[in-house]
Amino acid sequence: MRAFLSIIRVTLRQVIGGRRWIILGLVALLPAIVMWLSSANLSETNSIARYHDAPLVILFIIVLPLVALVLGSSALGDERRDGTLSFLLLRPIPRWTIVAAKFTASWLAATAISSVAGILASAALAARAGTWVTLVPTVVGVAVSAACYTAVFLVLGHITSRAVLVGLVYLFVWESGISFAAPALANVSLFRIGLTAYVGLVPAGTPGVAALDEVLGLLVPGAGGAVAKAVGISIVCIAIGAVLLKRMDATGE
Amino acid sequence: MTTSPATVRDATVEVNDVSKWFGQKVAVSDVTCSFGPGLTGLLGPNGAGKTTLLRLICGLLAPSDGAVSILGSNPRRDHRVYGRMALVPEEDAVYGQLSARAFVTYAADLAGAPREGVDRAIETVDLGSAADRPIAGFSKGMRQRAKVAAALVTDPQVLILDEPLNGTDPVQRAHLIETFKRLAAGGKTVIVSSHVLAEVERMADRVIAIVDGRLAAAGGVHAIREAMADTPYRIRIDVDDPRGVAATLMSSESITSVTMSGNTLRIETSNLPDLGLRVPKVAKELGARLTAFEPEDESLESVFRYLVRRRK
Repeated sequence: MRAFLSIIRVTLRQVIGGRRWIILGLVALLPAIVMWLSSANLSETNSIARYHDAPLVILFIIVLPLVALVLGSSALGDERRDGTLSFLLLRPIPRWTIVAAKFTASWLAATAISSVAGILASAALAARAGTWVTLVPTVVGVAVSAACYTAVFLVLGHITSRAVLVGLVYLFVWESGISFAAPALANVSLFRIGLTAYVGLVPAGTPGVAALDEVLGLLVPGAGGAVAKAVGISIVCIAIGAVLLKRMDATGE
Repeated sequence: MTTSPATVRDATVEVNDVSKWFGQKVAVSDVTCSFGPGLTGLLGPNGAGKTTLLRLICGLLAPSDGAVSILGSNPRRDHRVYGRMALVPEEDAVYGQLSARAFVTYAADLAGAPREGVDRAIETVDLGSAADRPIAGFSKGMRQRAKVAAALVTDPQVLILDEPLNGTDPVQRAHLIETFKRLAAGGKTVIVSSHVLAEVERMADRVIAIVDGRLAAAGGVHAIREAMADTPYRIRIDVDDPRGVAATLMSSESITSVTMSGNTLRIETSNLPDLGLRVPKVAKELGARLTAFEPEDESLESVFRYLVRRRK
């Protein structure tokens, strides 16, 4: 447990060190700014509906995936790039512990930054409509999708040094393109898993939520199922990462 | 039971017929050697395959052929052995954002070693005054020492150091060499790679020499030096009558080979002083104009290459 916590602590310093957190922090302001500006002259009901058709979608389709891509891919990718991966590999700890700690750190960081984005957007909504009804579902949904994304991008970051580029192609082509064109594929869309948690937790009849059904396609809303899927994806990705670490040749170059 | 000079009886690290190739490139070829308590120098020119061999020993690379064991375990299969060994890699494998103290503490935490040893490890490498500064601002020598401290904090039974003296100043170098010697004297297996013969001579009683990925020589430092004493000198001579000069020089017993390319002669001799006297004399007798007389390969690398040729 001491090694696990140490890796988390050092990884958190790595992934949100330098200017990275400033850039990601600015990206995280986007949903709140959109919420504030687009609901200036709207009624309370319409403001709540606006939250669901603009800031929430921006959060789940743009902000969260980008944050998770940067942080997830750098968790192991930075170690490989900086030549410090061998420092970790030469320790008497199982490979899965290394990958699980890396995942936990990048998930915590991605969830924290994306949750701030959600909290600020919800605060903007509260200022306009006087309700915090979206806050908890947003944070839970973000945490669920962040787990899925960081797990996948963690492995991607280990496989290729061009993880951010490959990840962006994945996000734009698959998540924002093909998965919208083919509703049957919504099951394997990572942001939708978090969104099902959101829809499952937000009170029935909340204005604008019904419009999210179109985005979710055939997915059944529910926080329990979403969490289970996120846990499953995370475990599979950690296992893949551990096998890759075990089999890899660390050339030190 | 007999052992070759490349192996020891009380081995803690064993390398058996190990080869490693990357695509078409053979980095290590059929190397068998072992290391036991004490300090062994792994000597070879840059690019000889030392780092690859050390990474094979540590399990960071999987052998393409052969087998490696440390303290009786295959490091690729049993990660627990890493609790009893440590590698100081050649590259800057440090976390720049951490202070030296945090880096060494991290190493202790990952190995399950007591944190009480952190200060002692830092003092051992004489890094106390800079211990709380970020490593990113360290010189190459200070980074080397931080890496050594991170290795020492785990109190390893086997300590492997890949060019640990690179970038260190003479005082630091002497200090580190003393540290390695002290560890070896205490019964640890210490393997130090270097491309500098003088460095290895200062610290190691036993040397494994590797060239072009092959084991070139092994044994005591004195044995290696004697082997090198047989090395012929290669001299390049530029003269406007190479054929005449070559024909005259070939009668000398100390000259082992002569090759000619244009006006350039390349001569191998076991007696350099004699050649130095004879060439100007021969040139004068033939009325030839001598424009160059230069040793072509006095480098360690060429000496090693000779050892490899001789081994074949």
